[in-house]
Amino acid sequence: MKEKDGFINCPEQQMILYVEKDDGKYGPMQTGSYISSNFLDDFFTKRKNLEKDLRDQLCLGKISPIQYYRILEDLTLSELSARVGIRKSKVKKHLDIKGFGDITAAELVKYALVFNVPVPNLLQVILVEINQEIESLITLENKTGNIFISQTGTANPYFVLTKIEEKKR
Amino acid sequence: MIISNFDHKMAAHCESGTITSLLKYAGLDITEPLVFGISSGIFFGYFHKSKSFAFPTFIVRSRPGQMRKNIEKRLGLRFTSYTFNDPVKGMYTLDQLLSKNIPTACQVDFFYMDYVPSWEKVHINVHFMVAVGKEGDTYKISDSYFPTMVELNHSALEKGRFAGGSMSPKGFIFHTDKIPQTIDYQSAITKGIKKACFNMLKIPLPFIGIRGMRMFAKKIMEWPNLARDTEHLSHEIMKINILLEDQGTGGAGFRFMYATFLQQASEIIQKPQLKELSKQLMEIGDGWREISLFSARIGKNRDLGQDKLKQLSDMISDRAQVEEMFFNQLAKTIH
Repeated sequence: MKEKDGFINCPEQQMILYVEKDDGKYGPMQTGSYISSNFLDDFFTKRKNLEKDLRDQLCLGKISPIQYYRILEDLTLSELSARVGIRKSKVKKHLDIKGFGDITAAELVKYALVFNVPVPNLLQVILVEINQEIESLITLENKTGNIFISQTGTANPYFVLTKIEEKKR
Repeated sequence: MIISNFDHKMAAHCESGTITSLLKYAGLDITEPLVFGISSGIFFGYFHKSKSFAFPTFIVRSRPGQMRKNIEKRLGLRFTSYTFNDPVKGMYTLDQLLSKNIPTACQVDFFYMDYVPSWEKVHINVHFMVAVGKEGDTYKISDSYFPTMVELNHSALEKGRFAGGSMSPKGFIFHTDKIPQTIDYQSAITKGIKKACFNMLKIPLPFIGIRGMRMFAKKIMEWPNLARDTEHLSHEIMKINILLEDQGTGGAGFRFMYATFLQQASEIIQKPQLKELSKQLMEIGDGWREISLFSARIGKNRDLGQDKLKQLSDMISDRAQVEEMFFNQLAKTIH
């Protein structure tokens, strides 16, 4: 690949591409990601649709919050089991709503740590209405107009502070 | 405290980039392609079913950690490495090394790196970066995927270093220990190329090397049966582009970087045939790049019928054919 063909304008995601320079030598050039430059909106649309579909199933009691996050974070049952340190058969039970009812607080903490979410978010989805559309906070990435939502952990592993504030204009 | 004379540079790949920057800091003038080539980084493997992957996937580089081991052996240098069962001890040891001004490479789960944008976050336990300082609770990180140094708090780094699951880092860290006075590049390059050719041509497993490419070409036709729905299939097909281009390959699934290695190697060991082969590989890489762009396009357009998948399958088969010829020729040249 020639250097002149390698340039992609994507400041959000820079990368190194090895190309043929004008003098015929091969070497690195800093450029942008093709897929992020052209198709990032498509990624977010798919993620938003997947989250909505899983949330609907969650609300109907078809799946548990563990299954909701497992699919969103693309983890297999074996991988999730190894990461939380809970045996596979038990994790499998936690994926449906009946088995989730038997979960302990200590197990919730383990799952929350792996999913990198506050423990209370295993029992709730925070929704934000923006531009007359309701969307989950996890897919909004804080593009929430003039309000800002932050969740901060505390020394108590079962407790989180959720702060909703108006952005200063 | 920050190690001020550590030179942060972007690199194509996290492991080869991390090794290169540590070696440069220790005074060895070496390029990323040389590290990649000497350590036999080029590879191919297709995984149709796996306990670790939720959907079929492929790899285009050798097993994580192998580059460090191979470069150590072939250049005759030494890294000191540590693993830990206890996160507290693991974080303490890192802090101690930093307090002695020793830049230290860490293996982490990419997902917990707060400085990574959300769309790039995936659970992958084999990301490497260099810790170069700590101020208060915040680490200064040289991550070769980012144009400038980044910051990471203690909790996020600990989560990343001690994530469980497949290829769990177990707090793994390493730093340079000894760089030899003289290096036999002739031998190192020859061994690196021979092993790469062996990996691509001779491993008797149907999912590895050229055989793996052919399996990928065949099995991709079954992907629609494995996807939840069209959007899921589109996502997985578009991931082909990410795996070949965006996940730290230097373009075309490492083929461009390996071509650069061959060009540099031809000058170091005075073997002009390698320069000719580097040109061939650059062209082969252009073909992989076409696969990347094609995958992104059909994924975006949800144009994922059997005809398009067959087209994609044929393009992959074609790469298998040209790479088989290429690596056979490379093996003969270096023998």
